[in-house]
Amino acid sequence: MLGQLIAMLPGAALKGLVLCAELALVVLPLIVGYEMAKAYGVFERPWSRLRPALAFIGLGPGALVPLLAGVFLGLLYGAGILVSVSREQGLASSERLALAVFLVTCHAVVEDTAIFVLLGGSAFWILAPRLVLALGLTTWLARRGKGRKPLTGEDNGHA
Amino acid sequence: MSTEHTASAPAAPPWRLALGHSYRRGRKFLWFLLLNILPLYLASDLLVASGALAKVSGFLAPVMGLWGLPPEAAAVLVAGMLVNLYAATAVAAPLALSWQQISVLGLILGIAHSLVMEAVVVRQLTPRYHALTLLRIVLGLAAGWLLALALC
Repeated sequence: MLGQLIAMLPGAALKGLVLCAELALVVLPLIVGYEMAKAYGVFERPWSRLRPALAFIGLGPGALVPLLAGVFLGLLYGAGILVSVSREQGLASSERLALAVFLVTCHAVVEDTAIFVLLGGSAFWILAPRLVLALGLTTWLARRGKGRKPLTGEDNGHA
Repeated sequence: MSTEHTASAPAAPPWRLALGHSYRRGRKFLWFLLLNILPLYLASDLLVASGALAKVSGFLAPVMGLWGLPPEAAAVLVAGMLVNLYAATAVAAPLALSWQQISVLGLILGIAHSLVMEAVVVRQLTPRYHALTLLRIVLGLAAGWLLALALC
């Protein structure tokens, strides 16, 4: 039994190295892309056309940068931007909650999806439900118990 | 020709800084793969091949069956939720899983992964991070269950 397992080791090591190489090939280009996006401030643009959509899920314009950083960079990698900008923008606690609910459900969308696509999963079925859940939960949260009309683009989202 | 580099020296262009950061992050990631993910893959492969994982996890078969997953996949969920998605990959790769099963695992773990590490970040946003961590687990398992029903 033990002899058999030891005989398997070289083959297993090779397969393990192939898996690591595949992960590296997926993630290293993403790292370069993320760093380029950060260096050129892609996540810090105003992206004003997104404002009505943001207001719909209970977020003001100030929440855009943390949201983009979380959705693309992830909670850990994007933590720097996420936490510091949330503080600077002085987000209302309802906004911070909405942001947290959206992001715990749906963040690091490229990396997380790519890892499981590498193993043979379906990108659509891994990503689409997360997006739908994140949008659904925050939309519900923004309307819960308020008994008022949905926020519009002109409204800055602060209650 | 000046030999002095004072404060007036032009700053490096953004792309060069980005490449420098990428290089350091990339190197760290490669070491992480070799020192953590490779050994975990080896352990998982040997535990799967020897039948030990199947033996230990056998009693979970009725539960994991809800998600259309073999009992061994419970180890993938634990690795993903407690460590991270790369650990989950290392444990999942030796299991012969269909694309539907990998998609179900990907959805559950996409919503609920690295729970401890990420709760530290979530805590900076809201004091209700405990509730949100619970929400992730419940939401992930529920979404995965529905997806298993839809795909299998």
